[in-house]
Amino acid sequence: MNLEKVVFSFFMILALTLNFGFFVGDVDDPAHHNVYELYAVLIVNLIATVMKFGDRSQLGAMLLATSLVAVVQLISSTIVWTVAVHVHETGLTPGVMSTIVSLSGGAMLANIISVILLMIEAAMLRH
Amino acid sequence: MNLVTSMILRRMRTPFILLISAYNIAILGLILIPGVDDQGNPLHMSIFHAFYFVSFTATTIGFGEIPYPLSEAQRLWAVFSIYFLVIAWLYAIGKILTLVQDPHFKAAVTSSRFRKNVRSLHEPFYLVCGLGETGYEVVTALTEEHYRAVVIENNPGNLNEIRLNEMREFVPNIIGDASDAKQLEHAGIKHPKCKGVIAVTSSDEINLKIALSSKLLHPDVKVVCRSELKEYEENMLSFGTDQIVNPFETFATIFQMVMHSPSLYLIYDWLTGAPHTKLSDPIYFRYGHWILCGYGRFGKQLYQLLIDEDIDVTVIDPSIDVRDEFEHHHVDHKENFIVGTGIDEKTLKKAGIETSAGIIAGSDNDSNNLSIIMTARAINPDVFAVARQNIYNNYDLYSATKANLIMRPREITARKIRAVFLNPLLVDFLKTAKSHDEEWANISISRMSAVIGNHNPHIWTVDITDSVSPAVTEALNLGRNIYLGHITQDPASRYLKLKCVPLLHVRGEEKIMMPEEDTDIHIGDKLLFCGTREVKNSMDWTLKVMSSLNYVMTFKNEPESYAWRILHRYLHKTERRKTQR
Repeated sequence: MNLEKVVFSFFMILALTLNFGFFVGDVDDPAHHNVYELYAVLIVNLIATVMKFGDRSQLGAMLLATSLVAVVQLISSTIVWTVAVHVHETGLTPGVMSTIVSLSGGAMLANIISVILLMIEAAMLRH
Repeated sequence: MNLVTSMILRRMRTPFILLISAYNIAILGLILIPGVDDQGNPLHMSIFHAFYFVSFTATTIGFGEIPYPLSEAQRLWAVFSIYFLVIAWLYAIGKILTLVQDPHFKAAVTSSRFRKNVRSLHEPFYLVCGLGETGYEVVTALTEEHYRAVVIENNPGNLNEIRLNEMREFVPNIIGDASDAKQLEHAGIKHPKCKGVIAVTSSDEINLKIALSSKLLHPDVKVVCRSELKEYEENMLSFGTDQIVNPFETFATIFQMVMHSPSLYLIYDWLTGAPHTKLSDPIYFRYGHWILCGYGRFGKQLYQLLIDEDIDVTVIDPSIDVRDEFEHHHVDHKENFIVGTGIDEKTLKKAGIETSAGIIAGSDNDSNNLSIIMTARAINPDVFAVARQNIYNNYDLYSATKANLIMRPREITARKIRAVFLNPLLVDFLKTAKSHDEEWANISISRMSAVIGNHNPHIWTVDITDSVSPAVTEALNLGRNIYLGHITQDPASRYLKLKCVPLLHVRGEEKIMMPEEDTDIHIGDKLLFCGTREVKNSMDWTLKVMSSLNYVMTFKNEPESYAWRILHRYLHKTERRKTQR
């Protein structure tokens, strides 16, 4: 067993599961979506992205790309949140909330692709 | 992803993860530890405020306790977090700095920049391997003519950035092993604009390898190699190397020219000389008794040339083995061998220096050669001295001896390569010139010196093709007859001829030396001229601009603009009508 692989897969799957946790619930209901969960999703995604740096293979490039997509989406959603709460002080209206959640939904899709690629790699290695 | 970014990313993995974790820990602490707002109500920091606070503390900017003064517990946490955040930053910055200093990283950056420069070349370029004195001479000559050059040199000491920056064109260069096919590929051997490879490293073996890889990787490319040893030369020829320059053999032909025809030698010297050098004076060979010091590969060649002319030669060499070899090969001249170096008066006098016509200092040791010339000249000031220079740095010392003929391997190589690449017709011209007599050479010399005078000579080739001389090809396509005299006519004045000498006219396989003015010009012809650079520029007007060509053919200024042409036609018509009446 390769410890590097364990840590690597751990962060990628954690990124997906946390993302899913934040995403589920009514799209416009703030009570179903926790800000600390979004924070955790962003941090774990950032770490997962950095871990993919410097792999020159085709698969490595794909993995990095999916992670970058997820990070961009998540950063956008946190910016929306911060602007709504701290800058405009409108609070989490249903419109704002659905924007935040749909952005994180996009990030989740990227994370799913990431995990699928990871599984493909694992399957290829077994052969 | 290219090597450089991938290197940066890979090295920055740990520092980035460390930074993210440190920020995360600091932010979490600030969120979890309770604080108070300005009214004294208990309050937890929001994630945004925590991130803001951590961002300015971590980077040591320190705006203060924002948005509300911190609680004592939060302050305690802030103290901890400041220390580990700063350490995390320092670690990350330190990593970047070590990476930038890393020799492997530097090499990767230089190599990727070099490859980018080579890839972006859009003009024809030449690949020069080895940047010794020959390499510099060749690169200078190429860039003078606005060709591009790419350089590979394995010795960082030879790669003089300042000297390269003085060249007229930017010269991409890299330190590397040119015998490595990968390196040649990076330097653009497969690039469609690569016109030629010039292998002038100091080692015959490396030159051979370069020639071989070049012919394999890009069969159409023209390859020119320097080689000093026969066996390498034969090997190089076997796979189609286009030209091999052996400075020793070339010098032998030069020496032959000096013996038989001083004017021919002068033609060679003028036409192959470096750009921006003045015309040299003729050298007159002296027949009589000769002394040859140093019987190595250089000495042997000259010895053969001298005895072929029935010249009496005394050989001086310090090696006993060499004497045995000499006695074996030249049984008839056995007694003409003296063991010694020739640097002392005694040996030279024994060889008969007082009455000698000439002396050759041909050993592979520069101090000995210089000393031989000095001693010989002290005893017999009129002696014809031939010196072999081995190390480039002794250039000025050799010039100071005022020897009549100095064999400088690098100069000879550079001359030949310059001719091969810049004016291939010059090689044909010189080859054919050897078969002409002294009188022909004398006439040619006087014609050339008449047009060049005190200026620097310049040799150029004119191709009658669409790209080089569009006006001429257009006129020829219209069915007009153009003669050489039109091209050598000054386009600025009908009373003047351009100060140039047409040296060679080539049509297919047919070559005419010193063509006359009434030679007719066809599409596809090639012409070789000798004159000055300014004259070449004037000639370009005739070749490229229709109105200039019309002028030299008719001595009338043709109208160029549309309106003027209509007006001209109108005037012309009325004129014609008048004559008809």
